[in-house]
Amino acid sequence: MKNTAGRNSAQWVLLVAVFIIATCGLIYELVAGTLASYLLGDSVTQFSIIIGVYLFSMGIGSYLSRFFNDHLLEWFIRIELLVGLVGGFSAILLFLVFPLAVSFQPVLYALVGVTGILVGIEIPLLLRILKDKVEFAELVSRVFTYDYIGALLASLIFPLIFVPYLGLIRTSLFFGLLNVGVGLYLCRYFAGEVRGVAAIRFGGIVILLAEVAAFIFSEQIMSFSETLAYNDHVVYSTSTPYQRIVITKNKHDLRLYLNNNLQFSSADEYRYHEALVHPAMTAAAEPRNVLILGGGDGLAAREILKYPSVRHIQLVDLDPVMTKLFTGQDILAEINRHSLKDPRVTVTNADAFIWLKENRKQFDCVIIDFPDPSGFSVGKLYTTAFYRLLKTAMAPQAVAVVQSTSPYVAPKSYWCVNETLKASGFQTIPYHNYVPSFGEWGYVMARKSGGYQLPDTFAIEKKYISHAVMEQMLQFPEDMLAHEPLEVNKLNNQALVNYFEKEWGKFLDQ
Amino acid sequence: MKRGEFIRLTTGMAVAAPLLHACGEKKTGAAAIPGKIVGASAATGHLLRDHTFNPPAAFEAKEVVIVGAGVSGLSAARHLVQHGVKDIIVLDLEQQPGGNAASGGNAFSKYPWGAHYVPVPNNNLSEYLSFLEEAGVITGYDQAGLPVYNEFHLCHDPEERLYINGHWQEGLVPNFGLNAAELAEFKQFFTLIDHFKKLKGSDGLDAFNIPVDTSSHDESLRALDRITMKAWMDSQHLTSEYIRWYVDYCTRDDFGTPYDMVSAWAGIHYFASRKGKAANAAHNDVLTWEQGNGFLIEALRKQLDGKIATGALATSIKATGNGVKISYLDVASRQLKGLEAKHCIVAVPQFVAARLLGDTERGKVVTDHFHYVPWMVANLTVKDLHERGGQPTSWDNVIYGSASLGYVDATHQQVQQRKDRRNLTYYLPLTHTSPEAARKEAYRAEHAFWAEKVLADLQRVHPDIREQTEQIDIMLWGHAMVQPRPGMVHGEARKSLSESIGGAIHFAHTDLAGVSIFEEGFYQGLKAAQKILQT
Repeated sequence: MKNTAGRNSAQWVLLVAVFIIATCGLIYELVAGTLASYLLGDSVTQFSIIIGVYLFSMGIGSYLSRFFNDHLLEWFIRIELLVGLVGGFSAILLFLVFPLAVSFQPVLYALVGVTGILVGIEIPLLLRILKDKVEFAELVSRVFTYDYIGALLASLIFPLIFVPYLGLIRTSLFFGLLNVGVGLYLCRYFAGEVRGVAAIRFGGIVILLAEVAAFIFSEQIMSFSETLAYNDHVVYSTSTPYQRIVITKNKHDLRLYLNNNLQFSSADEYRYHEALVHPAMTAAAEPRNVLILGGGDGLAAREILKYPSVRHIQLVDLDPVMTKLFTGQDILAEINRHSLKDPRVTVTNADAFIWLKENRKQFDCVIIDFPDPSGFSVGKLYTTAFYRLLKTAMAPQAVAVVQSTSPYVAPKSYWCVNETLKASGFQTIPYHNYVPSFGEWGYVMARKSGGYQLPDTFAIEKKYISHAVMEQMLQFPEDMLAHEPLEVNKLNNQALVNYFEKEWGKFLDQ
Repeated sequence: MKRGEFIRLTTGMAVAAPLLHACGEKKTGAAAIPGKIVGASAATGHLLRDHTFNPPAAFEAKEVVIVGAGVSGLSAARHLVQHGVKDIIVLDLEQQPGGNAASGGNAFSKYPWGAHYVPVPNNNLSEYLSFLEEAGVITGYDQAGLPVYNEFHLCHDPEERLYINGHWQEGLVPNFGLNAAELAEFKQFFTLIDHFKKLKGSDGLDAFNIPVDTSSHDESLRALDRITMKAWMDSQHLTSEYIRWYVDYCTRDDFGTPYDMVSAWAGIHYFASRKGKAANAAHNDVLTWEQGNGFLIEALRKQLDGKIATGALATSIKATGNGVKISYLDVASRQLKGLEAKHCIVAVPQFVAARLLGDTERGKVVTDHFHYVPWMVANLTVKDLHERGGQPTSWDNVIYGSASLGYVDATHQQVQQRKDRRNLTYYLPLTHTSPEAARKEAYRAEHAFWAEKVLADLQRVHPDIREQTEQIDIMLWGHAMVQPRPGMVHGEARKSLSESIGGAIHFAHTDLAGVSIFEEGFYQGLKAAQKILQT
């Protein structure tokens, strides 16, 4: 039925297909390599293993091609569609699988292997399809020329165009679409020579639509993958001008993350908040006016409201979204027992440093619950300048307490906070406890004078703290000490941020 | 050490002429970022151009008239008032006093238009220290007698960074990507500087001290004022590209003078004269404020309420035998007014002083020996900027190899967590050609030209600077500071021009010190005031 010209153009169509297959194949390999480097680090290892696995799989594919004996064109198209399906969805699959860390590498190499095998089958198949139509020497020369040109093109456009403009998920989907498109075109072109063309075409169109849909909704897919990263169900997430707030929930607990750092788990937050609040509140003796800096989750306020002496709590938190959430959102407000709606509580959304500079009131107890000093901005809230201002907001007998990161992970950071408070003219009482979701955690109480008397009882409703527990909290084992003289944290040296970066950096490297 | 401590371009006809260039300025360019060329009041220039004025009808009597409300003039006024001389007036062309320490501001912060910091002061400068105490910069003294500085005024960490070899390194002394030989040159250089810091001349005085006039007059040291910094560095075999850049950066920064033009004495003075000790700061720490030295200007002004006349362009100063007659143009009323005083302190640059005095002889000395470098300062209001790797954004951000001195972040001293915008102050001393040519060029160029120059430079370190910049304002300083070329500091011109005329006209300006730093201005004013108090 086909004349020479038709045969000739069929040959060219197939060669263009080779070219696209080669381009797509290499792109999938690069996507896998890049993703693995992003997610696992150590790009040299990741790329080298993936290239190895991919080439080896192509070898397996080439070997397997011998088992295809009939209907080669049909198989060629089917495999083409299959490459489009597997390759196209590979990035999404890898992103979704990553949070389930244990199974990531097997999935990664399996995907690379399957893509490699499929591409590996295709080239020999094509050689065989064309072998009757073109002279052998020329055939081999053409097929491989297109194969290698495709490879070059892929390696150039991937980093220069696709990653910067489309991102990994869309890049892999784009090339998946290209594969499927080629498959569908071949279906049409060779409609007369292919059996069961309708079924193949139907399959192709389904894959095509699925990939188009995924391409359009790739943003949502990304955020879904974020939900998986938290290992739980994300019940709420939002970005405010100040931070990213994520709340997750599973059977056991509800967790709050700010900028990916865990703030509390509802399962054990009482250990943290009882330890943060009660030693200072008890030491302050009948405190009437209490100041909370940070603590927008209302959990410290909940503990403070247990004291009948308290007349007024002033809470200062930077982020209105946070305090609004923990005031109005039922699940969250239940955890803080609606503390932020209590008439004794005034919530002010302001920068703590600026607020303190302008404040003229004095408080009997001050609870300071800031994020850890992980940057120069927040580091300012742990300086002598800040603590000297704090002093002006404290009544003569007042007690303040500062959450001071982990003395186990970051002993220098912890003791630097203690030194800084001392240098600012405070007497300090350092202590720590164990909070399962955080690990060992540290606090420093500070008062202008008067030392510390361990109380006989903590006369409030509690699950954790007691005379005996407090006694224990005051003991620091050897591995939580700094073992060297420490600098005082000042605006003009930010010593704490440097300690913190080094210590937590080392811990997270492990 | 950095740009900045240049003191004053004040009143006078000479200033008015270039102002006229600025007024016809139009906005050009398609995607131009909003902004304007600010400062030096063009309206005042117009007045002089378009009108002739009758001589003053009367001469109001004052005990002392001070012409120029820069650091020198305000320091003189403060000292006089504190010592009971209250019948004084300070005249200034601008609407805001401050001279080179001028500042501006917007909704996000105040920002400097010129000098923006002072180093931790030398401890022997007791008058200066007591002024800083008065300004709340020094909060007390520790047991050892060392000043305790206000923590909000000491420059916050991270202080300085340098973009070099594709990376932001901490500090401005190049070290990232340098080989051992290059690093050794810095070590050698700072060893030499340490030696000069401790060195005393044969007269027992410190080799390098502040004010410059209290430095040793030892001939072996004065010899350094006859060669350039480059010649001295060559003689010490300090020749790597990096150390040359660094020293050149420093001398352009402080003196607006490249290292191959600046006197070696002045160049070394920059490094070796700072010996300040503090209870809570290191010797190389600096004091800075959102509005730069505008903060110190506000402090100097505190006791001068009602004693500063702005928009007052002095036109002549004449000795009368038993006093001084001063004429000035009152810009608001467009009238030439007269003052008659027992004393006059001329706190303006010498090229202006010579004209006000109508003294051509004096003018010639100035033309022959005093070279004033023009500067361009830009303030950019920016959203979050893309950052290259390395040290995070700091107070002072310098780009290795750039013609500019980089930028300081005016919002750096703010303590709040979130900053909606930041104001960046960008400094460019126009030292690529002669001061005269650079000045002409500068006044001819329009806003778009300067904006493009700034953006093209900063784009290397912040690729998205064009999208993220909301506003660029430009200030051109025609005669920003005198250049301490060889022969300036230890030469005769400076001395002869410093001498009072007829016991009634006194001079105070940093160009008479040869180096334009805050302390010099402060003591220039103080000395002039003391001369009056002694009579």
